[in-house]
Amino acid sequence: MTLNLCVLTPNRIVWDSEVKEIILSTNSGQIGVLPNHAPIATAVDIGILRIRLNDQWVTMALMGGFARIGNNKITILVNDAEKSSDIDPEEAQQTLEIAEANLSKAEGKRQLIEANLSLRRARTRVEAINMLSQ
Amino acid sequence: MFSSSLSTSLPPKPYLSHPLSPSLHQPPFPHSRPPFPPSIRCGIRELRERIDIVKNTHKITEAMKLVAAARVRRAQEAVLNGRPFAETLVEVLHDINCRLRDDDVIVPLTDVRPVNSVALVVVTGDRGLCGGFNNAVLKKAEARIQQLHKLGLNCVVISVGKKGNAFFSRKGSVRVDRFVECGSFPTVKEAQIIADDVYSLFVTEEVDKVEIVYTKFVSLVKFDPVIQTLLPLTAKGEVRDVNGNCIDAIDDEYFRLTTKEGKLAVERDVAVREFATPPIMEFEQDPVQILDAMLPLYLNSQILRGLQESLASELAARMAAMSNATDNAVELKKNLSVAYNRERQAKITGEILEIVAGAEALIPVD
Repeated sequence: MTLNLCVLTPNRIVWDSEVKEIILSTNSGQIGVLPNHAPIATAVDIGILRIRLNDQWVTMALMGGFARIGNNKITILVNDAEKSSDIDPEEAQQTLEIAEANLSKAEGKRQLIEANLSLRRARTRVEAINMLSQ
Repeated sequence: MFSSSLSTSLPPKPYLSHPLSPSLHQPPFPHSRPPFPPSIRCGIRELRERIDIVKNTHKITEAMKLVAAARVRRAQEAVLNGRPFAETLVEVLHDINCRLRDDDVIVPLTDVRPVNSVALVVVTGDRGLCGGFNNAVLKKAEARIQQLHKLGLNCVVISVGKKGNAFFSRKGSVRVDRFVECGSFPTVKEAQIIADDVYSLFVTEEVDKVEIVYTKFVSLVKFDPVIQTLLPLTAKGEVRDVNGNCIDAIDDEYFRLTTKEGKLAVERDVAVREFATPPIMEFEQDPVQILDAMLPLYLNSQILRGLQESLASELAARMAAMSNATDNAVELKKNLSVAYNRERQAKITGEILEIVAGAEALIPVD
């Protein structure tokens, strides 16, 4: 019995195939999903999604969204998803530095909210690459 | 001896005259009507140059038309690719809404409050040569801003696209919050930037309503600018300002929590994904938190859809404009060629006559 995983973003289908297990970051912590999991619906935080296919782990950076786990069918709807193999390490590092600079410069509630969001996204991308190299 | 006495006695039109040619032609007859079709009066060399120029222009406009046609197809595919996301999202939103209908749920993005200030997201294109496309959108946005000012409401603009950016930076009478420029194709990143901006504007209560002005793609020959309410997300109902007057624009499209049928007339397949809804769905977190996570997703996908439709409309407009330009170029080339041939033949006939006359003159008179 394998899980069917579907990761959708507003402009394309990032992943649509069978997997053995996934580890998902939600607002209330990380959850691992194995076959025959109880059906739940959960919000997905800006974080890492790890997918296991036959003892091989694939990492993906998710930019927040929603996950619905049904009868061995997982649908994850996110704003944006990037496979760690598609992320350029240097570019991700640069984006992180820019985001940090923006956060320290931010004034006012609005700019703080925006700066925080972009910082979290940049950090997730860098983490995804680091996790791959482990 | 003027060879032009053999051609029809019409003067050159002022904009066609070579700077030196007035001395070679007869004085103009200002009141004579041109024969049908209007003939072009110009020197042979100028005509030849003009024919070359028109030929080049024709090649360019034809190439632009083909490029636009190819890109429209890609834009349509992009809209179709976004369909699974939107459908699944709507399904789940509907589900959650049903369960929460009885509870008193307060989610920031559905907060309907009296309106003092409105944000307007205006989507235009980057390049010109697309007929009246950019003008139509900007006119609509302009009208809406006037309407809002008359109602005594503040207005903030988020401008997307180089043409809109230029327009609003020249204008100065309206405050622009941010200029966004998409690349050749709108991606989730740009939609995210706009969504972040809109989200923070709304949540910090700087504005109370957010609308988007974009061009709806109905078919390859029909596209119209429309105004759609992005925030607050209500299932139905109108948004009123402080005085209780309804401030929605006429023919505003409400933010509907329903699935839309295929909006592009070319392909109408509705792929239904088999998704067995489990009867008992547990929420890992508070339903409010889940809604909180989902509504930004919906906002994102709406904005992205607006951008993609605008792009498809822009490409269709460019295709039509370039097609017209190509047809005009062909006709112009034909007219110029006819005029050129006439001039050429007149010149040759003149030369022959001179030679014959000269030969005649040499024959001794007996």
